[in-house]
Amino acid sequence: MTASLPRPIGFWGDAWRRFRRRPLAVAAVAFIGFLAAVAILAPAIAGTKPVLCRYKGRLYAPCLAYFDRRLEPVVFAQDRFRGSYPANLAAKDPESWAIWPLVFQDPFRAVRADEWPGRPANPSRDQGRPSRTNLFGTDQYGVDVFAKMVHGTTVALLVGFVSMGLASVIGITLGALGGYFGGWADSLVSRFTEVVMCIPTLILILALVAIVEKPTIWKTMAIIGATNWTSIARLTRGEFLRLRQSEFVMAARAAGAGPLRIMLRHILPNSLAPVLVPITFGIASAILIESSLSFLGFGPPPPSASWGAVLNDARSNLSMWWLVLFPGMAIFLTVLAYNLVGEALQEVTDPRLRESRK
Amino acid sequence: MIAYIVRRLALAVVTLVAITVIVYGLARSMPGTPLTLAISETDPSRKLNAADLERIRAIYGLDEPWPVGYVRWASRVVAGDLGRSISRKQPVVTLIGERIGPTMVLSATALVLTWLLSIPLGLYASARSGRIDERASSLLLYVLYSFPTFVAALFLQIIFAVWLRGTRWELPLFGMTDLPADAPFAARAADVAWHAILPVACQTYVSLAWYSRFIKANMEEAVRQDYVRTARAKGVGPFGVLVKHAFRNTLIPLVTLVGLSLPALLGGSVIIEQIFTWPGMGRLFFESIRERDYPTIMGLTLMFSVLTLAGQILADLLYAFVDPRVSVA
Repeated sequence: MTASLPRPIGFWGDAWRRFRRRPLAVAAVAFIGFLAAVAILAPAIAGTKPVLCRYKGRLYAPCLAYFDRRLEPVVFAQDRFRGSYPANLAAKDPESWAIWPLVFQDPFRAVRADEWPGRPANPSRDQGRPSRTNLFGTDQYGVDVFAKMVHGTTVALLVGFVSMGLASVIGITLGALGGYFGGWADSLVSRFTEVVMCIPTLILILALVAIVEKPTIWKTMAIIGATNWTSIARLTRGEFLRLRQSEFVMAARAAGAGPLRIMLRHILPNSLAPVLVPITFGIASAILIESSLSFLGFGPPPPSASWGAVLNDARSNLSMWWLVLFPGMAIFLTVLAYNLVGEALQEVTDPRLRESRK
Repeated sequence: MIAYIVRRLALAVVTLVAITVIVYGLARSMPGTPLTLAISETDPSRKLNAADLERIRAIYGLDEPWPVGYVRWASRVVAGDLGRSISRKQPVVTLIGERIGPTMVLSATALVLTWLLSIPLGLYASARSGRIDERASSLLLYVLYSFPTFVAALFLQIIFAVWLRGTRWELPLFGMTDLPADAPFAARAADVAWHAILPVACQTYVSLAWYSRFIKANMEEAVRQDYVRTARAKGVGPFGVLVKHAFRNTLIPLVTLVGLSLPALLGGSVIIEQIFTWPGMGRLFFESIRERDYPTIMGLTLMFSVLTLAGQILADLLYAFVDPRVSVA
């Protein structure tokens, strides 16, 4: 380190410096960034709706319909496009132009013959090996697997962030209350955490999924979040228990800060580092749980593009190896990436592990 | 000691009551009842008329609100009766008894294999710590640890049951045995073992990765201790230092793992049993949720949670037993 460094490096700066020294962890972060890019750009990568088009003198972005069906411009429904853009655009407005997604394939339906000029229909049943038109092959109904995978990225990332976001809110709130107030509040929180921990996760989740009348991906995320907060609560409780005795908390209390302010402004920022570790591992397990639920047939019904749902199709069509290889590797790599990040976080933020290996 | 055990047991009972209340409430809140589901599945045209349905509901006690049902169920359990399955018309105990053997075939084999393989692997990793071969094998184990079991199961099925079909290496896709129940025992055992290869492999690899990493982490802690340096200084060979001095002291945390693996040993794995249609406990639970078979759901939940709690208590007691410095009170 050079002597000209003007200011001391803070805890997070130091952690980041150590983090950068681990090539695998950096590669994992880069991979997650790549997934995020794929998730956001999914409709522009694979789809049958133009990314941008000019139709009857106005600009539209029909591809947004992949995020939410209500975003599909009404004019195309009025003009009876029926989801088939290339031919209709040319026929109904010769002046029109469109920017198409990189791959003209749909994650929810099979592309028909000549839907894209000169392109044959997607092969169905077990004929859809990977080819130039179907990069990852097609499933038994002729739906393109590459398109499913690209759009499934959105689901996988959302599941990780939304469910663990919910789990963090529950876990940190409960852990903070128990750890800070102690006494009966602590015993209540600890007992409750223990009860939820003792019910095997899959049992609790299967029971909850069975209760939900119409499963959607959002309800699945809520269920995963509502069951996966126990390790976060335990760690937060431990940190709060340790820090509430510390001098800076005493000083804050002497200065007249209320419990809420002490918890949020003083203790929470100081206990965040160890809590980040179970959150990161939790994202990995949330993605794993969602894909295994979809795999077992307990996921949201179609049309939903989940990697696990593709694997579920593979169960009854084992000769179609491409239905296993691509989604299987995608789930595996995503889980591995989050596990690597979690492990690196654990080692760079834990002072005991930090000292032992320089 | 006794006071500690009594306190732990009392807490465990409270936890147990809480768990069963939650799961009973959840089970009864699922849409549909075992009666409506079972009948519409066998014959959709044969709908029960309202009066008959009401009569049967009363027989099974489903006409009452679920807290009442829970109290009835709990008082029967205290008397030692887990009730009868609604959809399978058999006592729950019989059902569990039928399924526990097949589950143990998988989980016990996997557990033994895990121990047999992970200890040498962990020792090897700590002996060669930092070398290129150790880093490669540790990375491989880490990768295996992140590999989802259901993906691995599908890969294995494709390789051994589809690609190798017709060769010597073909392995059965699913089920536990193809032979009738009256086949000779030796032939049946061989057939079950043949069918168990893939599911056991799936169940073993994840825990293998986890255990050997755990052993290596503990060993790394142990080899830094002073007594290891002393042993080296007095001339103990590298193998002796590693096994007799360092490893023996890492056995303590390992012993607690025995207790914690109790629920998995008897509870089985829902996903693996489901993929390989193995007639075990995990599959029974999955089916009972689908059939809304409350008595079976509750019986299994009770069993799982008793095992989990017993495993935790056992782990703590074992810990105190093997390490005299630790006191439970």
